[in-house]
Amino acid sequence: MFSEWELKRYKRQMMLFGDDGQERLKKAHIFIAGAGGLGSPISIYLAVAGVGTITIVDMDVVDQTNLNRQILHFDRDVGKKKTASAEEKLQALNPDITVNAIDVKIDESNAVKLVGKADGIVDAMDNYPTRYLLNDVAIAKEIPLFHGGIRGFYGQATTIIPGITPCLKCIFPKAPPKEVFPVVGVTPGIIGTIQANEVIKYLTGCGELLTNRLFIWDGMQAHAEELCVERNPACEACRGITTKTPARTKK
Amino acid sequence: MTVKIRFFARFRELLGTDIVTEVVPGTMFTSLITTTARKNPAGYAAIFDEKGAFHEFVILMKNGKRIELTDAAKTPVVDGDEIAVFPPVAGG
Repeated sequence: MFSEWELKRYKRQMMLFGDDGQERLKKAHIFIAGAGGLGSPISIYLAVAGVGTITIVDMDVVDQTNLNRQILHFDRDVGKKKTASAEEKLQALNPDITVNAIDVKIDESNAVKLVGKADGIVDAMDNYPTRYLLNDVAIAKEIPLFHGGIRGFYGQATTIIPGITPCLKCIFPKAPPKEVFPVVGVTPGIIGTIQANEVIKYLTGCGELLTNRLFIWDGMQAHAEELCVERNPACEACRGITTKTPARTKK
Repeated sequence: MTVKIRFFARFRELLGTDIVTEVVPGTMFTSLITTTARKNPAGYAAIFDEKGAFHEFVILMKNGKRIELTDAAKTPVVDGDEIAVFPPVAGG
């Protein structure tokens, strides 16, 4: 049930997906890996949309060099834990949701437990080794992985439904080298917003998901396109895994 | 015959994109990309290692279908092919 305040808060989106859709958002638990450039717009939009439980994980402290894009963190937060900053902002945006902000490095020893019973994982990481780990957890738990990545004015996104769509390793079998990547804040703004849009569609059951397609954004040309992507039958992460019912219909 | 090469992300910054080029029949995927990338040493180095092999993270597609890096040297291109070459974008 919704309070009167909530009914007003969500009025304009309940025109799109009804009480039922809003109820699904409220009951949902979404795991956001990273409270940086992508994690900022993702968590902000999921919080204001009313996703009932948001777990957001990051191990970093806010640095001056983050401020051009990580809009969850303000000038005054430099030196603070990103999780503390994120929790404060998200709870201020929407006190009706639960925010679990966890200050830890996601690794093999804790990933499964951290994700817990979440309904989906949003990839807001800045490196492939952790992304591959989240991909494995999504496959093991049969929950979607909403992938996004950015560099400079370029970005990519896709929605991975284990057993149905290609997984992250099918699409990108090998990690690129680590680098201090250039970036302007609008790029994670665009890609993170696409990821949040996917989560909302997935949870409410409306629209067509960004599945079996890699969305590619070129901000220099203001041009978006998509490439078809397919499962790799020999994929080391998802080989042989099949799901009879798409995960979203299990809800 | 002509083919079109499309680079993405960092490769596009260094080499441009939508490059329509004349090729002789029997040209292999790898040699086409090698010749095209040589226009810019930084572009070449972004795609190939010092031995001239593709960096292992590079993704190749021909008409929307993935080509394995190991198959690219023996995969011929044909008239009208659209070839995509891109890196995984890693930042967040």
